[in-house]
Amino acid sequence: MRRSFLIFTALLALIALLGALITDQFALQILTLTLIWATAGLAWNVPATAGQISLGHAAFTGIGAYGFVFCVVQFGWSAWVGMAVSMAAAAVLALVIGLPTFRLQGFYFTLATMAFPLILMVLVIAGGHPEVTVPFNPGEPIASMQFRDPRSYVWLALGAFAVVGALCLAVAESKIGRTLIAIRDNEILARSVGVRTLVWKLGAFCFSAAVSAAVGVIWVNAILLVVAAEEVFGFAVSILLISVTFVGGIGRFWGPIVGAGLLIPLSQFLTVQVGDRVPGAESIVYGLALVAVALVMPRGVFPTIADRLTRRGADGPPDEHRTDNAEWRALAREAKATSSDDVLLEVIGVEKRYGGLTVLRDATFTVGAGARLGLIGPNGAGKTTLFNLMTGHATPNGGSIRFRGEDITKLPAPARTQLGLSRTFQVPQGFRSMTARQNVEIAALGSGLGPAEADRHTRAILCAVGLGGRADRLPSALTAFELKLLELARAAVSRPAVLLLDEPLAGLNEAERGDFFAALDLVVDEEIAVVVIEHSVKALLSYSSELLALDGGQIIASGSPREVVRDPRVIKAYLGNKFAARYSLVSEPQKADQP
Amino acid sequence: MTVVQFIVTGLLVGGVYALISSGLGLIFGVMRIVNFAQGDFMMLAMFASYLFWVGPRINPLLSVPIVFGVFVLLGIIVYRYLVGPVAGHRENHDAQVILTLGVGLVLQNVMLLAFGSTPRLMSIPALEFGFNVGGVYIDGPRLIGFIAAAVTATVLFWFLRHTILGRAIRAASENWEAATYMGINLRKTYAVSFGIGIGLTAIGGAALSMYQPVGPFVGLNFTVIMFAAVVLGGLGSVSGAFVGGVIIGIVQSVSQVWSPSTLANVYVFAIFLIVLLVRPQGLFGRKQRAI
Repeated sequence: MRRSFLIFTALLALIALLGALITDQFALQILTLTLIWATAGLAWNVPATAGQISLGHAAFTGIGAYGFVFCVVQFGWSAWVGMAVSMAAAAVLALVIGLPTFRLQGFYFTLATMAFPLILMVLVIAGGHPEVTVPFNPGEPIASMQFRDPRSYVWLALGAFAVVGALCLAVAESKIGRTLIAIRDNEILARSVGVRTLVWKLGAFCFSAAVSAAVGVIWVNAILLVVAAEEVFGFAVSILLISVTFVGGIGRFWGPIVGAGLLIPLSQFLTVQVGDRVPGAESIVYGLALVAVALVMPRGVFPTIADRLTRRGADGPPDEHRTDNAEWRALAREAKATSSDDVLLEVIGVEKRYGGLTVLRDATFTVGAGARLGLIGPNGAGKTTLFNLMTGHATPNGGSIRFRGEDITKLPAPARTQLGLSRTFQVPQGFRSMTARQNVEIAALGSGLGPAEADRHTRAILCAVGLGGRADRLPSALTAFELKLLELARAAVSRPAVLLLDEPLAGLNEAERGDFFAALDLVVDEEIAVVVIEHSVKALLSYSSELLALDGGQIIASGSPREVVRDPRVIKAYLGNKFAARYSLVSEPQKADQP
Repeated sequence: MTVVQFIVTGLLVGGVYALISSGLGLIFGVMRIVNFAQGDFMMLAMFASYLFWVGPRINPLLSVPIVFGVFVLLGIIVYRYLVGPVAGHRENHDAQVILTLGVGLVLQNVMLLAFGSTPRLMSIPALEFGFNVGGVYIDGPRLIGFIAAAVTATVLFWFLRHTILGRAIRAASENWEAATYMGINLRKTYAVSFGIGIGLTAIGGAALSMYQPVGPFVGLNFTVIMFAAVVLGGLGSVSGAFVGGVIIGIVQSVSQVWSPSTLANVYVFAIFLIVLLVRPQGLFGRKQRAI
């Protein structure tokens, strides 16, 4: 934790020393440019940490540059006011780009960002401003950001780098950084553990845009002086930010710093040495660097080297899952102040259609405090759809869902998790670049616990389910059964009022099924309601106090397990008409008498 | 000039846009690869066409089979040694996006180094004709480009529907896993699809070179035009990319009725954004469910 801040401070001191010692004009300019693009790279990296690759940051440097000149020339404002206004304008534009595209998954955000700087560039040129000039005013150096001594620009760029770097480092080392990584790893899962992903992505993008605009302002004053639309809005700027960050390592704090330190001096040197004979030499270097890094170390230079140096042993104690729920019980006792409503969740006449296909109709039932409700039915009966509707991963076409009397039909998934509805997934999900502990901790934080509390809850529940010795492993290093336990720990760590388990037993053998229910009993206290989807009716008979049978999108039976499994409609749904009269679902099927 | 004139011109150019977009659409549809270097490969093909004319005086209509063959091969090589190793069905797409950006950057600047930044336009006396149809002027090179695009499109659809390789490509694009169970060699199919995708765009580039100046940096705008067409038609749908390309050609042209031609691309990008926001699955795409 503290070590990164020490290294960063040492780096700043080193750069300051360089800035003070260097006398060569050209070397000072290289230092300034390296700092400028490292700062912009740090900013570009923030949304990229959440998996949002922008190809349009030139829109923000361009707005920074043009907005600054406009404010200074038209209104005669001081340079700093101009910078603040440009930063605000860039943040607003980021909101305009992000708000619609962040709702979509996949490449849409990246594609949309590509178009914006092109539009702005054409409009600025068509508006009659292909070039604007920064008014030269070295009389008031502080107010105008214009200095006679090129060394002053090093200090200016270093100041921006220090501020943005400290902010980004604080982000990277905190809950914020891990939340961003969680969004990149698995956005659906992040939403289901209470992370408002849209807000986070927008926040990251707006911050990034504002910093890029500030960088545009500094760039204009320190280097350009004449602002050409093709230069500040050009694709080359966007590519530059991607290059420094990707070569260094996307999603890592040191990535853009390492990348800028490698690429900018090299490209500047080439431009000066061979630029007149080899036009575009620096771009060829960027291009080759991108290709080479993508092929050889696709995670970037810094992570590849750093992780090789600090590889930690992944081995815990031998393969046993010792459960210890003392700490978890203690936490549960502390929290025992919850109101004991009778009815927690009400599903009233809910309907869901996909196109012309109705997958769920008129589903009505309630879940009371402490319920142990089993949801059974053949494939395609609508069980998972029902879960998705309850947790906000899909919206019903009709009917309503109430939680503690409050209508939550239209509430997004993260808000429902924070209310106390938590779920697991049929196919175990995980934040793949985080350890088991961090996986659970994100859920604890997402439910609204403070950092210290979240840490305590996380340790306690991991011990309770028997993953105490596996806490520092990545999901990819866990067995199928351990993943199920992790899934359970993640869903239960927030002490939800209603816990929804989607086929938790699928793929487990008989012994593991027993172990899973044992772990479930250890982490769930009596007043928590548990709803389990399961194919295997037998497994649910002993666990649940109530069964709900679905078939073809309709609830066909409900009541005590014994009643439901003897219901002819349920037997028909499972075994077909022919056997409906003769068999019960639970007794071992005898050999049918052949007629 | 009348609106009809602009529509006709837009349609003729749009046909070629449709062709270049189908290449990008094929590559995305089959491999889920977003190729940001597509426009730069097109720029390269325009240069190839141009050089065939200024060098041995072979006009684009005659050189296009050679250009197509060379670019299919180039595409296969690029896929085999560059794109293929970082693509695949992994969760992290960053490396693939950035690799193609890098390839594009290298192509642009190598061409800058070789030919300078001044755009060049070839002039072929044999193709400088045109005629009037009921008051609407039909430009020769644009008409020829359109016909070339239409012929290529017909062959492409026949190929995808009726040849074993074409069916393998479609199978791989719908469900790569199931395709491997049917004995389809995915590596080979992907390499060929990438090659054909580059080849289709190259034919379009050759057609455009008859009336569009070529310079090292023309690729980017065309890349955005291609993405606009592909998104408009629906990501992953080759026929959608065709319709999208035609619509964009018409929009570009008709916008000149009321605004200067320098702003034509602003309308294209604006449509691109509106489609992304309003109907991201495109005109023909299917909506995908998250869970």
